[in-house]
Amino acid sequence: MEEGAKGTVTSLASMFPADEAQKAAKRVQDTIAEKHQELDRVKGFIADNASLVNLVQKLPEELHHDIMVPFGKVAFFPGRLVHTNEFMVLLGEGYYAERTSKQTVEILRRRGKALETHVDSLKSMIEDLETEALFFDRTASDAAEGLVEIREELSGEESDEGASESGRKEDAHSVSVKDKGKVLNEDEEYARLMSKLEELEKEELAAEAADNIEEETNEVDPDVVSEQSSFNQNLKDWEGSHSCKPPSHSEEGQASDEEFLSRKRQQPALLEKSNPNDPTITSSHKDKSLKLPALEGNDHAGSSNNEVSIQPSKPKFDSLRAFTGSIIERSPNLPINPGETSSTSSQVPSSQSSKPQSRFRMQRR
Amino acid sequence: MDNYRQDKLHKFEEFVDRRLKPDLVHAISERDKVFEQQKTFSDLRKHIENLQKNSVTSLKTLVNLGSEVYMQAEVPDTQRICVDVGLGFHVEFSWSEALNYILLKEEKLARQIEEYTHQIASIKAQIKMVCEGIRELLQLPAELTLQEPIL
Repeated sequence: MEEGAKGTVTSLASMFPADEAQKAAKRVQDTIAEKHQELDRVKGFIADNASLVNLVQKLPEELHHDIMVPFGKVAFFPGRLVHTNEFMVLLGEGYYAERTSKQTVEILRRRGKALETHVDSLKSMIEDLETEALFFDRTASDAAEGLVEIREELSGEESDEGASESGRKEDAHSVSVKDKGKVLNEDEEYARLMSKLEELEKEELAAEAADNIEEETNEVDPDVVSEQSSFNQNLKDWEGSHSCKPPSHSEEGQASDEEFLSRKRQQPALLEKSNPNDPTITSSHKDKSLKLPALEGNDHAGSSNNEVSIQPSKPKFDSLRAFTGSIIERSPNLPINPGETSSTSSQVPSSQSSKPQSRFRMQRR
Repeated sequence: MDNYRQDKLHKFEEFVDRRLKPDLVHAISERDKVFEQQKTFSDLRKHIENLQKNSVTSLKTLVNLGSEVYMQAEVPDTQRICVDVGLGFHVEFSWSEALNYILLKEEKLARQIEEYTHQIASIKAQIKMVCEGIRELLQLPAELTLQEPIL
């Protein structure tokens, strides 16, 4: 469902494809058949139980009964039943009970009751499954007919999901006409939201990239200076490799090039800033890396201060893993692999570089 | 050419899945039934030999009336035993006659088992042959990217 409009029109066939609904219906039918089988089995048990009760009641009438005593599965001995009032009943788990005829009958009646509750539960399950199957059948036929479900989000207007469902049947056309008017208003809102979102994301990226640099250098405090020199080296290498890029990338490359330089310049400025501003920072590296992007965020955008200060805690961890932002295309590995970035950078960093760059240029001047 | 090959492969696989494999399953289940019968008769033989050894004349057993409800039963004379000879008939035997009969029965069952084993082996061989054919068809066209499941 696309988010282009606040309301969406989806055909029932796309949500519940006809053949899948039929498959589901078939599965439910199979389950129903299984339950029917089990129901028959349990009914058979109940019938056996009833006949056994009769037998147990009849046997004590005689002292002995002549029977064929089975010996294994395929042989019999002619013999007699003796002690006709004594029954050994299996209670389960290898436990037997010797009972008289009356007591055995009671036990068997209780067993019968348990079986009957089982039958009742099976019957109710079958009923539920049958309603489910009915629903699937109906959905399959509806989807085949090409019905459309219209869902409209509440945007302060009176259109409800209830209204949309009532419009489901044949009013698809009229409701979609009403929808178009709303869509125009919502488009403007949407555009505004998107632009705001883009701004925030650019700031987040800048903060995160600076964060990357600081992470590398924040490993050991005294090594900051040496890291800076190594960064100089990296920068030179990167520029050197960068000069070999094809001319089509040159524009983007330059933009990201400048950004990298600017970020490098930011770093000493920020480090100087951090110390006088907050003495507690020096105690822990993590705080430093968090605060620095916060300060940088402050430098960047005074308007969206709060959001940027909250966000850097996230980029710190995101930078280590795959970046989850959907719009931004540049990989976050800018300082580690400077050669890759320029090829994948899009217009976003180019416009992003303009903002921080201008500020620091002003500062330098 | 590819279509033709794929068609053939499809046909082979279907043949294996629909005819040969169920046949195999069927033959194995029949053989298992015969195994069980053989076991029953050998158990009976052991019991009878036991009785003979201990010269047991009368027995007391518990008879299952159904649903695991047992009742005591007495066998006064164990000399006569009725054995199921098939088709719903039971023949009254003495011990030695019964043992004789059981021996013959066991031999017959062993022959049946062998027959089934031969059948099973031939079906398995056929399955293997068809699989080899499929494999050949798949290996020869090396550039094709057939996604057929290899059985």
